[in-house]
Amino acid sequence: MTSSRARLSSLIRAHRSISVLVGWALVGALLPVIVLLPPFSTFQGQGLWVGGFANSGVFILLALGLNIVVGLAGLLDLGYAAFFAIGSYTYAFGASSFTGLNVPFWPMLLVGAFAAATFGILLGAPTLRLRGDYLAIVTLGFGEIVPAVFLNADTYTRGTNGIGGVAQPALPFLKFDFTNPVPFYVTMVVILAVVMVLVYRLQGSRLGRAWMAVREDELAAASSGVNTVTTKLLAFALGASTAGLAGVFNASKLGIVSPDQFGFAVSFTVLAMVVLGGMGNAWGVAIGAFTLYEIQSVLLKELNQFFQQLQVPFLDTIDFVQYQFLLYGLALVGMMLLRPEGLFPSRRRQRELHDVSEDVADVPPPTAVLGD
Amino acid sequence: MRLAKFGALAVTTVLVVGACSSNGSASGGGGKTIKIGTELPMSGAETANGEPTANGVKLAIKQSNAKSEIPGYTLDINVQDDAVNGAHDPQQGATNMHTLVADTTVMGVVGPFNSSVAQAEIPISNAGGLLQCSPANTNTGLTYPPDSAQYRPTNPSKINYIRTAAPDSIQGPAGADYVYNDLKAKSVYILDDTETFGVGVGDSFAAEFKKDGGTVTKRDSAPKSTTDYTPLFTAAAAAKPDAVYLAGTTPTGMGLALKQGRTVAGFETIPFMGPDGVADLGPGGTTGATITVAGSAAHDVFGTVAGIHDLPSGSTFVADYTAEFGKAPGAYSAAAYACAQVIIAGIKAAVAAGTTDPAAMREAVRAQATAAGNKFDTVVGSISFDKNGDITTPYMSFYKTDLTLAGGKGDWVYVKQQAFTDPNA
Amino acid sequence: MRVLRPAVVVVAALVFAFVVLGIQQFQNFLTLGAIYALVALGYTMVYGIIELINFAHGDVFMVSAFLSMWIISVPLGLADKAIDDPLELIVVLAIVVFVTMVVMGMIGVVIERFAYRPLRHAPRLAPLITAIGVSFILQNIIQAIFSTSPIGVPQIFPRTKLDILGGSIGVLNIFMVVVALVLMVALQLFVSRTRLGRAMRSTAQDREAAELMGVDINQTIAITFFIAAALAGSAGVIQGLYFGSIQYNLGFFAGLKAFTAAVLGGIGNTTGAAIGGFVIAFIEVFAAQIGLARWSEVAVFTVLILVLVFRPSGILGQALGERA
Repeated sequence: MTSSRARLSSLIRAHRSISVLVGWALVGALLPVIVLLPPFSTFQGQGLWVGGFANSGVFILLALGLNIVVGLAGLLDLGYAAFFAIGSYTYAFGASSFTGLNVPFWPMLLVGAFAAATFGILLGAPTLRLRGDYLAIVTLGFGEIVPAVFLNADTYTRGTNGIGGVAQPALPFLKFDFTNPVPFYVTMVVILAVVMVLVYRLQGSRLGRAWMAVREDELAAASSGVNTVTTKLLAFALGASTAGLAGVFNASKLGIVSPDQFGFAVSFTVLAMVVLGGMGNAWGVAIGAFTLYEIQSVLLKELNQFFQQLQVPFLDTIDFVQYQFLLYGLALVGMMLLRPEGLFPSRRRQRELHDVSEDVADVPPPTAVLGD
Repeated sequence: MRLAKFGALAVTTVLVVGACSSNGSASGGGGKTIKIGTELPMSGAETANGEPTANGVKLAIKQSNAKSEIPGYTLDINVQDDAVNGAHDPQQGATNMHTLVADTTVMGVVGPFNSSVAQAEIPISNAGGLLQCSPANTNTGLTYPPDSAQYRPTNPSKINYIRTAAPDSIQGPAGADYVYNDLKAKSVYILDDTETFGVGVGDSFAAEFKKDGGTVTKRDSAPKSTTDYTPLFTAAAAAKPDAVYLAGTTPTGMGLALKQGRTVAGFETIPFMGPDGVADLGPGGTTGATITVAGSAAHDVFGTVAGIHDLPSGSTFVADYTAEFGKAPGAYSAAAYACAQVIIAGIKAAVAAGTTDPAAMREAVRAQATAAGNKFDTVVGSISFDKNGDITTPYMSFYKTDLTLAGGKGDWVYVKQQAFTDPNA
Repeated sequence: MRVLRPAVVVVAALVFAFVVLGIQQFQNFLTLGAIYALVALGYTMVYGIIELINFAHGDVFMVSAFLSMWIISVPLGLADKAIDDPLELIVVLAIVVFVTMVVMGMIGVVIERFAYRPLRHAPRLAPLITAIGVSFILQNIIQAIFSTSPIGVPQIFPRTKLDILGGSIGVLNIFMVVVALVLMVALQLFVSRTRLGRAMRSTAQDREAAELMGVDINQTIAITFFIAAALAGSAGVIQGLYFGSIQYNLGFFAGLKAFTAAVLGGIGNTTGAAIGGFVIAFIEVFAAQIGLARWSEVAVFTVLILVLVFRPSGILGQALGERA
């Protein structure tokens, strides 16, 4: 049993990219089928589930990006929603009735990612000399400034009304509209698969190791030849780029973009997803994001109904949906105190956070350490 | 291993919750069920807006079932809440609209309450062929061409969004005329909350006030995160305005602005006026109501409500509502009731014509509501909708506060109503 | 001589503000500045001693506003009416301020004990994230108890105005500024003259050395949190009394602005925090004065970023090098 497990995991590690693609293909194919079974079928119809999965994909993308910044490079970014806003508005400028342009969705994905990455560098540059706490607050400031600018510069952004009539993607053989969630779902699965392959590639690359070195001890990293400036800037840029992708996708699916979609609540939610999922572990973060989103959008409502129907005293008066942020807050505090590496930690992180004393002789051979 | 146990616990929870819960409430008497959906902010700071409105629909359904208006069918309601963390959220509204479109027993939706939510929802209901009747949206871009076309990308020629509320293009000027003519104020200070509704109604107010001959001494925008409005009023006091127009809603700060504004010299006694976001008609003591938030500062406050006040004589609506829910109707309860009646009329006609397919029935309801010249006998009188979905007989009702009512806590008093002409009729 | 130059600068700055804003707006500036200064002191003290930005501090301020409102309304049972008898007013105010400060201080100690102390040796990220979690927990608890709408605070302080210098000055404004000044001076004396104050300063400077000298670190940190939260508590009382309305999300922006003030003045420097509070208040009030109220948040955050990038040690701080 264990030997086949070990063989499987070493096989996966050796062919990481393929296994990620296969993994996503499996997940993408299975999820719509699982929701046809009870009890999921009693919560809502398949169409709504699939639409919800596509929306959760947006958050998974955000979490993957924030994972690069927070989990891999150790830079606490509290204003991550700003990049989400930039991706969304970039697409809105490129494909809506407001500007009259109609650039197709697929190249706009890259444009949005690039725009967000550029802003990642712009917003990251001033923070290079700052330490963890200050960095966090500055990023929080940026997270507030960006939507405020979109709100107040109303001649260019239609301000509080937002930009409506944002175009949907178009493929010759597939129609993307407001009734059928499947094309959006499939698109999102493909995007996620590609992004995750890239994330794992990055993690295992020199840049990935540089990120982890900077996370652990910036001074030591700099002393051993790591260019901390480019390392950190690339973390911001690449982390922001997935938010740009998420922004473009979300804008096209919702059809409108408005400044109030990008508040601190979004940044906080994504941070909770990364922390709970397992900082540094891409699959862990993805699972964490997905779980949290589904809890937030489906399970809490069902809990309300559940307690109301059973008429459990006191519990049936609580509206769980309203207090989801309380639950997130409690979960964050609890996780930090009990299991800071997250629910699905990367093994390296787990060892870092729990094993304070480690014998030199205990260091495992290189093949087991890399890529984790 | 701990993780595996945790996982097992999670799975069990989901299974148990799933087994014990069922979607929607059981339908009453015999026959099949047709539902009317409501899409309103029902929780947090907006409960005072959403709940009375949803109650209007519930009353309409109850009374319709009582007289078996649609043979062979029972009416029921599908309630959706678009408030997230206490405030209306367009993304949640979109999700809810998907849910309503997917529910094939829903033939029409009453809602939403907020214009920004409508922007996200209309494309979805348009694609789903589902009629939406809003009792409270006022943003002109939702119905006036050419802006409104962007919300109907799937079926551009099928208007599926109608509303009973007079749009901002009427509410702002109505307020301006009232301030100039009735309150005799020649200069005004306008404060908006940077939101869609506030800015829109503030703009139309300012334009009309200047046309009347008055002056706008200052115009400020303060987002809903503002905790201190005093510096703004202090700065505005220099020009000594005769009145203040609070272009926004209390959930986005106008109640607080009223309270703090009154403490500034020069604003203690002058009249404050606001649109229906301020004139929520909630008595003092109701959570989140303007009078509750502003307390003793809520004197000499006037407001407009985008709807009719005088119900046709002989109407028992107010009495029925109070009997059913134990309190007086909200500002939009009657309008929501009327929306429900429009939908019910469409369902009735479709059933009479033998339609049973849900998609066909939805289309019939939509077509019936938007057909030119169709009149509906509702609790607010006989109404019809123009080719854009706006009501052809927009009314504005005017109210003012009286702090001696409701046991000293204060309440709103009706002043007058005014009929306007629909510019697009 | 040493005191004279900074005093002259301060007086000159105040005169400048007075001239630019006019007497009415000047009062708003002083009041807002007092509140920000009191909250900023808490940020700066906590950072000085354990190098943690207590993200939840702004929400501690918010909770104290609600607590003071509750004390006035429930145990004291006062209505929304000004108290005319000065003696009664003084007694009531003394009770409210004292009780709020003490209770909030204890809450601060509890938060530190359970959310931050276990993580004192954890990686930097952990207590920061916990602080965010605590912030949301506090907000939601208040939401659950009181609702998300603004809640009125009984206006027990009479709004009498004195007519001086061509404008009217509110007695309430004078009271608030006096209270703030008294507390700030008391804090300065405490930190510089008492044994506990010395323990705080030494722990802030070098924790290990202080421990070697016999300072009880846990107790010192607990006391720091107590004082920080108590100061925020006094600011909360002022907020409720003056602005008359409180809401669960009060702490978020107020906290960020107060933190900006602390950074501006020089994080770890209590005088700097006080000065920073007034500077931030000036920016905000001035923006409202010239009609740019909706940009005031952006302005404050821009100040924060500029300070951190170009002069991380703030106005009064020493060059902190890589640390900041």
